[in-house]
Amino acid sequence: MVRNRVWSFRFSTAALVLIPAAVGINYIGKLFVELLKLPLWIDSIGTVLSSMLAGPLVGALVGIVNNVIYGFTTSPVSFVYAITSAVIGLVTGIMAYKGWISNIGKALVLGFVVGLIAATVSTPLNIAFWEGTTANVWGDALFAWMVAKGNPLWLASFADSVVVDVPDKMVTVLISFLIFRSLPKKVLTMYDTEQEIERL
Amino acid sequence: MRSMTLYVHREKGSPLHRMDPLTKLLYVFTSVIISYVLADHLSVLLVLAVSISLLIAGKVARFILPIISVSFVLLASILIVQGFFHPDRATVLWEIGPITLYKEGFSIAFLILLRVLNMVCAFGVLILTTKPDELVETLIQKGLSPRFGYVLLSVLQIVPQMMTLTGKIMDSQRARGLETEGSLWVRIKSFIPLLGPVILRSLAETRERSIALEVRGFNATGKRTRLHRIQPYKYGFALKALLAVVLLSVIVWRIWS
Repeated sequence: MVRNRVWSFRFSTAALVLIPAAVGINYIGKLFVELLKLPLWIDSIGTVLSSMLAGPLVGALVGIVNNVIYGFTTSPVSFVYAITSAVIGLVTGIMAYKGWISNIGKALVLGFVVGLIAATVSTPLNIAFWEGTTANVWGDALFAWMVAKGNPLWLASFADSVVVDVPDKMVTVLISFLIFRSLPKKVLTMYDTEQEIERL
Repeated sequence: MRSMTLYVHREKGSPLHRMDPLTKLLYVFTSVIISYVLADHLSVLLVLAVSISLLIAGKVARFILPIISVSFVLLASILIVQGFFHPDRATVLWEIGPITLYKEGFSIAFLILLRVLNMVCAFGVLILTTKPDELVETLIQKGLSPRFGYVLLSVLQIVPQMMTLTGKIMDSQRARGLETEGSLWVRIKSFIPLLGPVILRSLAETRERSIALEVRGFNATGKRTRLHRIQPYKYGFALKALLAVVLLSVIVWRIWS
């Protein structure tokens, strides 16, 4: 068996076609959240799911394409967070490959780590572009309170991101994990780059 | 369920529409970088004014309003949080009962506000006057892999298709008795039964799509021929050079002074 195929740069057709579908899933997730009026974003199910299916590079690409297309069609501000989305895809893909999606407990840890890293990546962006706020009411209220108490800006901004990103990514990874586990084998094998094809 | 298309571009036939996408892309980056390099209100206001006048020249100024309104929460939160809680607060600007608005925070909030507005308007110049197909086609001519170009464009077609599919699945699950309205817990419980079928369907469709693409030579190597030839843009080089010079001189001026 060939190792390290996770990092293959030569994408198969199946992996490339997965990218638009995964971006679509991100949109649908967001649409359902709006329709059902749930209190989180949950806008990266497609990114997480594609990382679990086809590895970190495809996941990172889904993240970037998602934010670029969203920036082009809905809100240009989302270009700023393309890096965050890419990192979400990368981290999920690597950890999934290392076996962090073998059961529900591990998947929750994966979600926690992804949320923490997403917040870490977003914080410098938030500070550089808008002095630390995130446009989430709860996070920004905490940010305002911490700044008023005299905490440093980076700490307040990080807390602002963490309180939103960690629960959001834990829920996202949990949902993706539940869906991933119930996918039929026929779908899973499409992206399995480690599989050997037997020749006669 | 709202029917939707992802295309925001408007065909108006202005000089801006005829400009080549790469020049506009370079304008966006130049404009955004300059607005963050400069740090006084007047110059950033000037940069914003340039973006807005380009929107007017492109006859698309009124279509920018819905795009700005998407960023409204961000703009409002910047204004509120920085205006009331910025650490350097000292000079009181207004006092309304228990609420105090400070001058320093408000000044910074206003600057960021101008920058974000400029970011949205500058991108608006690009996205409201450029067909996505044209942009991707130009990028492919500049060396982007055609396979990846396909990925970018197909997103614009697949997402509306999936939205329609979502409407159908929502209706059928409701017909089967799934509750989608009510308490938070009821709504959370309905999330997976709604999302699951959509995801499964779209993943199953990618299988067929990838077979269809491979049959049509998606992975073919060798030189590709083009259906549409894009006319080279006459002023492309001059405009790009001008933008580069402006950007560099602003950066140099900022470092020097």
